[in-house]
Amino acid sequence: MKFISIALKDLKELIRDKRGLIFILFFPLLLIVVFGFAFGGMGQSNQQYNLAIVNYDEPATLPTSNETINYGNNLTQLLKDVTYQGNSSMHMFNVTIMSESEADILLKNRKIDALLIIPANFSRSVVALIKNTIQTTTNPLSQVNTSTVTSTLIIRGDTGYINFGVSQGILVGLLSEYQDQIITSTQNAVKGTPGASSAQYISYDVQPMAGTKNFTNFDFLAPGIMVFAILMLATTVAANLTREVEQGTLDRLKLSKMTGFDLLFGGMLPWSLIVVAQVLILFIVAVAVGFHWQGGINSIVLAIFAGIIGGIASIALGMIIAAFAQNDRQASNLGILVTVPISFIVGAFFQLPNLQVWGFQFNDFLPWTHTLNALRATLIYGGGWDAISYQLAASALLTVILFIIGLILFSKSRLSVDN
Amino acid sequence: MEMTDYIIETQNITKKFDDFKAVDGLSLQVKKGEVFGFLGPNGAGKTTSIKMMVGLLKPTKGQVRIDGQDMRKLDKGIIGVCPQELVLWDNLTCAESLKLMGDMYQVPKAITQERVEKLLGDLFLTDKADTLVKNLSGGMKRRLNLALGLVHQPEIVVLDEPSEGLDPQSRRVLWEYIRKLRDDEGKTVILTTHLMDEADRLSDRVAIIDHGKLLRLDTPENLKKEIGEGDIIEITLSDSRKIPEVTETLQEIEDVLSVFEEDGKVNLRGLNALSKLPQILENLEKKGINVVDISMRHNTLEDVFIYLTGTRLRE
Repeated sequence: MKFISIALKDLKELIRDKRGLIFILFFPLLLIVVFGFAFGGMGQSNQQYNLAIVNYDEPATLPTSNETINYGNNLTQLLKDVTYQGNSSMHMFNVTIMSESEADILLKNRKIDALLIIPANFSRSVVALIKNTIQTTTNPLSQVNTSTVTSTLIIRGDTGYINFGVSQGILVGLLSEYQDQIITSTQNAVKGTPGASSAQYISYDVQPMAGTKNFTNFDFLAPGIMVFAILMLATTVAANLTREVEQGTLDRLKLSKMTGFDLLFGGMLPWSLIVVAQVLILFIVAVAVGFHWQGGINSIVLAIFAGIIGGIASIALGMIIAAFAQNDRQASNLGILVTVPISFIVGAFFQLPNLQVWGFQFNDFLPWTHTLNALRATLIYGGGWDAISYQLAASALLTVILFIIGLILFSKSRLSVDN
Repeated sequence: MEMTDYIIETQNITKKFDDFKAVDGLSLQVKKGEVFGFLGPNGAGKTTSIKMMVGLLKPTKGQVRIDGQDMRKLDKGIIGVCPQELVLWDNLTCAESLKLMGDMYQVPKAITQERVEKLLGDLFLTDKADTLVKNLSGGMKRRLNLALGLVHQPEIVVLDEPSEGLDPQSRRVLWEYIRKLRDDEGKTVILTTHLMDEADRLSDRVAIIDHGKLLRLDTPENLKKEIGEGDIIEITLSDSRKIPEVTETLQEIEDVLSVFEEDGKVNLRGLNALSKLPQILENLEKKGINVVDISMRHNTLEDVFIYLTGTRLRE
């Protein structure tokens, strides 16, 4: 188990080199802070998003007043009227009612940013919610079992398009606010709380919605910046491995019975710890500078997991770079030369054209593409394990392949007898 | 001598870097259990030769056999190397570094532990066992540099310029230790040096190389004998223009083996030179030549070297 000795040695060296460690851990932090401030203000409060609504809703009758209401229309009106917090003249959405097929075409052409489909049972589900609220409010102890109706609103769009990222984020916030307001106003009406209208159960007063104010481009860009930070780790790993060559200690190890696998796999273990720390710091800092994500803690856990796999891929990339660099300066330069283009290729900073190679998107062969997809799926769209398991598996598989390539190249150029 | 008595054999090894021949057709044999010295100025090809002998560098031509085996099939545990430069992990302690190398040579943990303690003791590093390498003094680093090549108890110990940068005291510790390796543990030691003194005192046999070529290979005694016995007298004149005249005069004295000019001095080698001293001075006085300085010493390897290469050792 020589790789364990190597892992321990590398870990001790990493931890004892305090200055180096601080740099390694805080570099991505710096990156996030800079990008957070640069893009945190963009897209804030002043952009109007084009929203198409397809309304299949059928009206339902309110239990109390026997009034028939189409809550789909009600929601549509609300979305038309909603304005940005602190800027009441600026509407968040430019709403167009259209058919689903029409909307799909416009979505593809990016003429509209998002499509909201209101299902046929939407009003019934709202009525069921009101009934339920009335019962639980008037008789909280009763074991009510009202028939529940669940309706699912569909938000459709191009997940690679930043405007969709932002508008769906706003929509998700608005919809949950809509439901909360139905409950609150129903409760107020039943209890007779002052200020509540007795005839109206749903207040669709156009109010600035809390939480939408800060939804910015940064929220959409953050996963890309995280992937960039994770990629930069390859440069640090390459520089560290090259240092072993430069100071001659690799020759010492080469003379021993150590194999390339021992050196590189052993080296990978402590670096993986660094990756965990880096990814955690990335998230903490991202949230601190105002990152909003969907899906709560669950998303964060999944995202950290995805980030770690991406980080291990970067370690493997670092080994490949180290196979070609003569000294640690070269490793740093070469590292930047490799990681920056890769971060563009995987689409960390802007959307790339759809280019197919052998039936795959051309950048599907890079593990970080999948890291980025997974981070976006979970952080921007609130996707769970199901949504990202394929991406995680793909990035893990590609990471293993990358490690094997790194192992072969490094062994060949650094561990064989010099010519 | 039987073939099996040679532990290392190089067969016409040559190393070319582009157009430069660092080692040029070197053939030699190292006997089991001897201290074998490589003597030559810096840049003579000593380190390159050694790198090929331990398997760090591929010869352009020729081959190296160790214990009768081709280099490539070698059990890596058989060789231990102390490189010329300090090759250490700054952020590990002495004990950690040694244990790491023990692990890398797959020495069982308990045995490694024992050897680490012994090595630290032998090289006066016991109280530095838990000190980080970066906090050691230069001499301590040198000693650790040596110890790291010995943890796995190799048959062959290769030391590349081991006294480089050592103070006289540390050098003495090192020399004692090298002798111990040979005498008590039966190791074969190969060392390179550009210090005549070191090669002379430590080596059983010395290979003198320059410009990548082997000039002589013999015991220090034989090498010294080869250019004649006797002592060396060096005379500095007040007027160096008179050196040719002086060399001519002194050659006529009985038992004087050679007289030549070297570095502005008259270099005279002769049997029983001390008894000749009055006669030499008398000759010079007769000619009215003023002597500024006169010194006498035993014939050394350096004299052999100068004789063979026509120059003093380059630094």
